[in-house]
Amino acid sequence: MAMAALRREGRRFATPLMSANPANTLRSSLLPSEEQAILGVRSISTQVVRNRMRSVRNIQKITKAMKMVAASKLRAIQTRTENSRGLWQPFTALLGDLPSVDVKKTVVVTVSSDKGLCGGINSTSVKISRALHKLNSGPEKEAKYVVLGEKAKAQLVRDSKKHIELSMTELQKNPLNYTQVSVLADDILKNVEFDALRLVFNKFHSVVSFMPTTATVLSPEVVEREAESGGKLGDLDLYEIEGAETKGEVLQNLAEFQFSCVLFNAVLENACSEQGARMSAMDSSSRNAGEMLDRLTLAYNRTRQASITTELIEIISGASALTG
Amino acid sequence: MASNAAVPFWRAAGMTYITYSNLCANLVRNCLKEPRRTEALTREKVHFSVSKWVDGKPEKPTIRSDTPEE
Repeated sequence: MAMAALRREGRRFATPLMSANPANTLRSSLLPSEEQAILGVRSISTQVVRNRMRSVRNIQKITKAMKMVAASKLRAIQTRTENSRGLWQPFTALLGDLPSVDVKKTVVVTVSSDKGLCGGINSTSVKISRALHKLNSGPEKEAKYVVLGEKAKAQLVRDSKKHIELSMTELQKNPLNYTQVSVLADDILKNVEFDALRLVFNKFHSVVSFMPTTATVLSPEVVEREAESGGKLGDLDLYEIEGAETKGEVLQNLAEFQFSCVLFNAVLENACSEQGARMSAMDSSSRNAGEMLDRLTLAYNRTRQASITTELIEIISGASALTG
Repeated sequence: MASNAAVPFWRAAGMTYITYSNLCANLVRNCLKEPRRTEALTREKVHFSVSKWVDGKPEKPTIRSDTPEE
């Protein structure tokens, strides 16, 4: 009789400990063991908690390793990105970047990554692309998507697959280089008709910050039209053209080259932001895993201590019952 | 303005400026001395897959690659 009361006491000991635990997932995984205890097992099984601790520890190892990989990749790609900025700056000085230009056919080039686990960079660029698409489509205007990377494709397929013109993936199998991106740009130029290309990518600022950015590349006809109407591009007529080429040809060459350069920079910036974002995402997830592990260890130790105490009380009271 | 009428020969052949400049760049790379030549040539590898979309459906992707698939 006394033993049964003590046993109940022990159970009451353990139960508040369990339910006081803040982690919901933890509680749910521990519930079966509590039921087991009710069925007549004397001490609470700690097997579940131990298994969970092991899996959390393994996940933490993986995320730590991924963070390391991202950090080393980031270092390699960051210098390249910073160097590539020099490619588009002269073009912006010459042809300008006119995000507000109003044209009939817009092509939104969404740059994203192929792999996930890199925070919100892909969804931000998809969001910006959707907004641009909405802004540039209307009764007389049409907008199309060209999607780079698996992740933006997966997100855009859901609601605007009718507007996707081209999609390109597996960009980062080899380290990014200009030849590759220019072949890519060439494919885009050949396969879509556009008056303005709007590139959406994440510009790399630092490891923890990146800005969703758009860059606009105009077709030569639009450049000419804008130059004639004055404004920012009005200075274009001041340039003298050497050689046998006409202004139209020069502008076409320039527009094509500008697109490949801007795309090169965009792809690099995005890859760089991806690695940065992955680094911080993996950092926070390994920190979370650590916190979870701490909580689990606490719960595990408390339960163990409680069952030891119960057993001790049982033994001592049993002994005292015999002697007394 | 001597040859106003004719477009450049490479554009007549259906190339864009990008293709043309890439070809020229490759020529220059081939003129480098070893070992810099192989270095420069291996650096510029092309690999990606393109698929065109018709009526909201992707067509079979084509892979543009220098390196043969293993």
